[in-house]
Amino acid sequence: MKPDGAIKLVSELLDLPLIDSNGRYCGIVDDVELKGQAGKPLRLEALLVGPGAYSGRLPRWAMSLLRMTAGDRLTRVPLGQIRTIGAAVELKVPGEKLGLRKTEDRVEGWLPKRGAL
Amino acid sequence: MNPLELTLGIMTAVGGFVDISELVFAARAGSTFGFALIWVFAFSTVGIVVFSEMSGRVAAVAKQPVFNLMRHRLGLELGLVTLVASVISNLITCAAEIGGVALMLNYLLGLSYVLMAVAMTIALIVSIWVLPFKWIERAYGLLGLFMIVFAAALFANHAPWTRIAGGLVPQVPRGLTTKEMLSFGYFCVAIVSAVMFPYEVYFYSSGGIEEEWGPKDILTNRLTSILGMGLGSLLAIAILANSAILFGPANVDPAIPGTAALEAAIPFGKWGLILALLGMFFAVAGAAVETCLANAYSIAQFFGWAWGRHKKPWEAPRFTLTWIILFLAALAIVLTGVDVMTLVEFAVLFSILVLPLTYLPLLLLSGDRKFMGRYANGAVTKWLGWFYFWIVCIAAVAALPLYFLTSGGNG
Repeated sequence: MKPDGAIKLVSELLDLPLIDSNGRYCGIVDDVELKGQAGKPLRLEALLVGPGAYSGRLPRWAMSLLRMTAGDRLTRVPLGQIRTIGAAVELKVPGEKLGLRKTEDRVEGWLPKRGAL
Repeated sequence: MNPLELTLGIMTAVGGFVDISELVFAARAGSTFGFALIWVFAFSTVGIVVFSEMSGRVAAVAKQPVFNLMRHRLGLELGLVTLVASVISNLITCAAEIGGVALMLNYLLGLSYVLMAVAMTIALIVSIWVLPFKWIERAYGLLGLFMIVFAAALFANHAPWTRIAGGLVPQVPRGLTTKEMLSFGYFCVAIVSAVMFPYEVYFYSSGGIEEEWGPKDILTNRLTSILGMGLGSLLAIAILANSAILFGPANVDPAIPGTAALEAAIPFGKWGLILALLGMFFAVAGAAVETCLANAYSIAQFFGWAWGRHKKPWEAPRFTLTWIILFLAALAIVLTGVDVMTLVEFAVLFSILVLPLTYLPLLLLSGDRKFMGRYANGAVTKWLGWFYFWIVCIAAVAALPLYFLTSGGNG
């Protein structure tokens, strides 16, 4: 691997959409979790999804505003659950299994399920 | 490529091209400056064709819509700035369209403007809930084809074809005072903004994903963009030219959207008026749907929610809730009593400020060979893309000073 390989991987992963095994969008790669020690190579452990992962990427005032409106939920997607990485990150399992569809499911309960062609 | 599908796609693009801002600025441009601003419409149409084709191609090849890719390319911070700016711009545009539709109904039925705005918002929400994407797009686009009456009126109004053709040549009318020159500049910027509205690209590329475009649809995308938008632009030019023939010499300023309908009423009488109002009604209602959905697409794509109207509304719940809330927010703006023309001017101003942020990531992505492979921008598209990008940057810088110096083009 080239010296910039790992960093490049992270920069290419950030902000990619996640698509679950049922072909549904279920979040964006908001941050990544790396494992390693000083002087040793870092290894990608998981993808972090949700507004809780924005801290460090947004100014403090924007983060507080976001926390007030969208909360600070954070979901961890282990590396082993990823099938492919391309224009989107495709997962091996349905989003529900990783807790990625909690808000969608809650809002779904508010909507009537009839009348659409 | 299915010829029937292609024809329907092109006709839909033609009928859906004109919205409230184009309607207003085309009529006012013709009455104020004769045929001298036709070239700005033609020039901007090439711009929107270039960027629509690019966004459709990216959607077909990457199978990802513009806002997903924009966030990846711009990053969270700049992406969020773009999102907020485009949501504000599209929301104001949507409010202007709802106000415009309410005005058309007020002219057609004589009922209260406020009541019509509320009724129309409910009708638009119901139509998106009930109809799948393709039907929504086709219904409004095809019914907007009633606007062809404006092209027919041009013949009936004995159009001076040589002078109209002369209007296609870039020009600044001679003998203008400084004030008039600034007003001409403001109209140029407003027309560029009205024709190249950012919502059109968001809606078009998301529509490509909704219709499951793939690389086999690249030609359909190209033909729909070029022919659909090119022919649609002719309707806007017909409105401008009719206005130059009828309103200019009579010193009439078609400052309210309904005045344009008189262009068909004068040669064709009552039926001309009804067809023009119906065409304007469906075109503007279609634009209200497009702006609202474009906004919901942008938000859902930015945060990675399930989205699209090819699914049942409850299968993309946050997306559905978002477009309903956005419609109600646009209605709330209309109900504050702000004048439709003021909304149109604000929509045009905000849009031109957002345009560079919309088009830059699209330009970078569609030209990226690693990402697009053999479907990356060719030399001509690349050149045109950068040329129009710098044009919208210049227009964005000039927009606010020109607006204030000319009091919104009123001299």
